[in-house]
Amino acid sequence: MARNTPSPGQKVTYFIFIALGISILYIDINSKIFSSVKNNFQSFKISSSFVLKNISVNPLKKFIELMSSKQKLLDENTMLREKLDESYLRNFLITKENTFYTNHTEVVKEIKDDLVIESFHFAKLKQIDPNIFNCCDRHRIYIEILDKKNEIFKEAMVFNRNGIIGQVVGDGSQNEVILLTDVKSSIPIKNSRGDFFCNAKGSGKANLISCSYSQLVWIDEHKIGDSFYSSGLGGIYPKDIKLGELTSIEIINSSVTKLEIELVSSPLDTNFFGVIKI
Amino acid sequence: MIPSFIKKTFLIILVSYLDYKISYGLSKIYVILPLTFLAYTFFLYKSDYSVGPLESFITGLFVDLITNSYFGHNAILFCFASYLINTYSNTFKLFSYFQICIFFGASATAYIGFSQIILNLYNFSYLTLFLSGIFNIIFCVLVAILSVYFPSISTRKI
Repeated sequence: MARNTPSPGQKVTYFIFIALGISILYIDINSKIFSSVKNNFQSFKISSSFVLKNISVNPLKKFIELMSSKQKLLDENTMLREKLDESYLRNFLITKENTFYTNHTEVVKEIKDDLVIESFHFAKLKQIDPNIFNCCDRHRIYIEILDKKNEIFKEAMVFNRNGIIGQVVGDGSQNEVILLTDVKSSIPIKNSRGDFFCNAKGSGKANLISCSYSQLVWIDEHKIGDSFYSSGLGGIYPKDIKLGELTSIEIINSSVTKLEIELVSSPLDTNFFGVIKI
Repeated sequence: MIPSFIKKTFLIILVSYLDYKISYGLSKIYVILPLTFLAYTFFLYKSDYSVGPLESFITGLFVDLITNSYFGHNAILFCFASYLINTYSNTFKLFSYFQICIFFGASATAYIGFSQIILNLYNFSYLTLFLSGIFNIIFCVLVAILSVYFPSISTRKI
């Protein structure tokens, strides 16, 4: 559609408006008549942008800040918890009051010799199935050993703040750990008096290991509640670490007696472990 | 009528805000891109009806107000642009897109020249004017190319 070009009358109107514009411009440049209008508009602009910001941007900003600070606190909390777990594990190895070892003087001696500390690594729990742990024969967990530098950790002992958990059986980015309660696991144990030795096997039940022996070979003086320790004979676990207490004595037949020991440590206690290669 | 007025006002505010935001960056390379003026002239060119002097004058005054410029500065130039575009609205149909782009680029350069004379005569720079002229023509050509590749944008009514 064709547009109408300005008629002579409209041209005059254009001229009038342009002339008006020029006069307004001249007045504005040479006087301050319009300054109040401009100032009022500027103040309106500033206040409205402030109000709009307060309504829209600021709550959003605050929300994001709150979320990030929350996340920061959570991260800090996780970090502190890990540090606390680390200190727990260290305490088991270095404090004299610790019940991890029965013989405290030996602990101090070992630390002085740097035998324990040198091979001590922290590890994080990566995978555990608590349902399988509570029901089935195969009790395994996966851990990630921190700061390992191409070291092989196969057959290294894994412990938490309460005691021994098991031993590493697989190497890789995540290490498989066979727990003491796994039916394929075996740990040499002894009683607190040191006159009874036995190979305790995993029972397949949570926190229980069992030991079968012949009464014909060993004297039979066990009481419920007796403490059992690792004997260190296998070469994997250090000796004199408290494993648990006797919970049941079952006489299978005239020559075989089965002891059931409840472990003091559970892999479900913590997500942080220590790994020692003896 | 009212929605169209609100839409136009909002677009003017938006374009002048963009103009304000990009002006600092472009000034480093001695270029001024009067985006508000170009947008308004584009509107005048695309409009189905002849935009009258009153509407142009008021729009110009509004732009002066929101850009904190001297009153009358944009009002005069918008009025003049309106007059020119309305006068040559039918002649434009005989021109190629490139010629129209040169016309808009040149009018934008004239706008820059007048603005510099009115606002800061002591900083008047031929280098800025020359570079801005080239830049504005290229910008208009790019917008024209854009409208060829994206016809839905160019055919949209404001």
